[in-house]
Amino acid sequence: MLATPMHLAHHVLALPIQSANCLTAIGRQVSRLAFLLLSTLVLASVIGCGATPPAYFRHNMVESTKQRLNSDQERQVATVLLAMFGTPDHPVALAETGLDESKLHLAAGPVRSDIVGRKNGLYREHCAHCHGITGDGLGPTAAFLNPYPRDYRPGVFKFKSTERADKPTQADLVRILHNGIAGTSMPSFALLSETKIEALAEYVKYLTIRGETELALIRAFFELDDDAKGTLPETREFLVEETLAPIAAKWQAAPAAAIPVPPIPTNIDLVASIAKGRELFYGDKANCVKCHGVTGLGDGQANDYDDWNKVIVEADKEIRSGTEQASQASTAGMSPEQLADHRLQLVWLEKFHQVLDGDALTPRTIPPRNLRQGIYRGGRRPLDLYYRIYAGINGAPMPAAKGTVPPEDIWHIVNYVRSLPYEFDGLLGADRPMVAPDRF
Amino acid sequence: MTQPDPHPIGFCASSFWPHVVACLLVGVTAVLLCFGAMVTTYDAAMAVPDWPATYGHNMFLYPLADWFYGPWDLFLEHGHRLLGAAAGLLTMALVGVAWWGEQRRLVRGLVAAAFLLVVVQGVLGGARVLLDDRTIAKVHACTGPLFFAVTIAIATLTSRWQGNATSQPSDSLALRRLSALLLVSAYVQLVAGAQLRHLDAAIDPLTFRMLVVLHVAGAALVTGLSMAVCACAWGQQFMPALSSRCVAAGEERSSRVSGATPAIWATVILLLVLCQIALGAGAWIVSWGIPAGWFGDSLVAWIPTEPIVARSVQSAAIVTGHVVVGMLILGVSVVLAIASGSLEGLEDSFGQRSEAHA
Repeated sequence: MLATPMHLAHHVLALPIQSANCLTAIGRQVSRLAFLLLSTLVLASVIGCGATPPAYFRHNMVESTKQRLNSDQERQVATVLLAMFGTPDHPVALAETGLDESKLHLAAGPVRSDIVGRKNGLYREHCAHCHGITGDGLGPTAAFLNPYPRDYRPGVFKFKSTERADKPTQADLVRILHNGIAGTSMPSFALLSETKIEALAEYVKYLTIRGETELALIRAFFELDDDAKGTLPETREFLVEETLAPIAAKWQAAPAAAIPVPPIPTNIDLVASIAKGRELFYGDKANCVKCHGVTGLGDGQANDYDDWNKVIVEADKEIRSGTEQASQASTAGMSPEQLADHRLQLVWLEKFHQVLDGDALTPRTIPPRNLRQGIYRGGRRPLDLYYRIYAGINGAPMPAAKGTVPPEDIWHIVNYVRSLPYEFDGLLGADRPMVAPDRF
Repeated sequence: MTQPDPHPIGFCASSFWPHVVACLLVGVTAVLLCFGAMVTTYDAAMAVPDWPATYGHNMFLYPLADWFYGPWDLFLEHGHRLLGAAAGLLTMALVGVAWWGEQRRLVRGLVAAAFLLVVVQGVLGGARVLLDDRTIAKVHACTGPLFFAVTIAIATLTSRWQGNATSQPSDSLALRRLSALLLVSAYVQLVAGAQLRHLDAAIDPLTFRMLVVLHVAGAALVTGLSMAVCACAWGQQFMPALSSRCVAAGEERSSRVSGATPAIWATVILLLVLCQIALGAGAWIVSWGIPAGWFGDSLVAWIPTEPIVARSVQSAAIVTGHVVVGMLILGVSVVLAIASGSLEGLEDSFGQRSEAHA
């Protein structure tokens, strides 16, 4: 009888009985360990099955605590915002905002189809898991991302066709939604219909105007006189005309703030243009090399924060210095009023610390872009690069070249930057000619 | 004293029709689950706001052209409902043929469980729509795989192959235990995955992080168990001395014959698990982007990422594929558990109960 491969393997691999018993014992131990792990898993899964929390707009606790608002004042802000903007399921847009309510209703609320089969709840379907229901960039997945998702509430947008301090146009928001942002987790929604993308852009504006209004209301407490007794005036003049209208007006003025773009110089060939751009890149005027590095790999100055993270870093510093001062203060010689103030300060520091733990993400520095990857977050068109260089990037350390570099010359920098991913590797070596030795 | 049945969960001639109907049910349920997974991927559960009617029509009389050429979300949701109804009808047919043609209490019990589950699942599906509640959707997503597992168990137990080839339970206690654990783990992992799939944007970030850790830990557990089961099954195949009950030469031979099937199924599971890990990573990336928050800034600057196109066919296929492969792992785990004799204890308890009633 011929031996089958299994018989052969059996004879070759057969172990003594003692070893077999040992392996069986190990198998039992593995089973027990796995059973323990499984029990933990089952318990934890049940926790995940808890009731879905209702959607609500989160209060801006970081700014509110920083401005030392008490709970009554926080409630007052929330009430005013509810009256002016409604809820995540039922948004309201006053005429002064210039927002289209029909678009808002398409984007707001839970994901469901209406009676004609049109899908609503677009924001919660596509955006809220990162940007959060409130648009505060604190969605459940936010902590896993780098860079963090945008917090709309300060009203600052990076990639736009308008001057640095101005709001983006509707077309800018639509372009970002359509193309996504390369090098980040922001996807492209190119497969959504134009109507849906327009609705999402409108809802982003709604969340931004709401967030800016909230900030303005919180900061308004600081400017109240003694007669107000810590209460905001609930008048249309104050709430709408003085607070909301100026914010909305900036959004409505965005199309008029478009960056003027000169034509691409035609009296110079591309090679010469790139050479000139390189000169500017390493020169004193544009000084791109300071952050993007001598190699263009983004390895220059890299310890700065963007505006969103800077708020948290500064708050953290405030807590640290306050705690240090409080711990050094001696209560022995304090009057009752000073003692009460001291205790209030300790309570406030503790609250601020808790707020930062729960309502803010760990700050991250913003590394300058590696220009040799060919990935441009604000768009890869030459025009997009022109906008970035001309106006800088709002909210980021990238400064504006406007005023220091003539607009026509900015096109040369654009050409050089666009050539960097294809620049011959040998230029990165020791013989690299463009680095001025007196500068580095 | 009566001799114990040498084929406690074996095939009998009367299992033919239950087996045919069970196989049909498995097929319909597999397609049904794929549709269900697609419904979740496209967030299309509320594409039809009424239930059991579809936009006022009787579900079965909804115009075919409106369904087929209508919005994609409607196609998925209404198709899911029709397939659910088909699964319900087939389950009722299975109850009928099993009642008349199947004598084994374990199989009858499983058929009764399938019927109960399909009814509960239908009600849950309706409640999810009428109440527009994601928590119910999560429970609905957990009951579906359970029903699928039960249908596979019925189809396996009523098969001629199961009756003839592997009626001898595995001699290795470790293999039986590990197979049972793998089966339960695969299901619990689907439960954990359902929590992430039906993510509500209003969820607390800390809860989300806990769910992620849970799902990753579950993946590690299932991977570890599938490797252990594979090693154990092949070990039993080549080294029957591992079995404590294997003493006589005759028994050794029978053990080798019955051990081949668990080893093959265990290998299939291991391959599916490896595929599932890759799909899981892909599903995360196409849903929520590269989790670059885990890396340092210096590393992130070197990740060249082009934007992912949301709702593209590729991303939907990856996300849905992750769910479908999860179901396959569960299904094959059921077959492995039966082939390795993990259900022996269950069969005994059913038998003892029937004797007690008698």
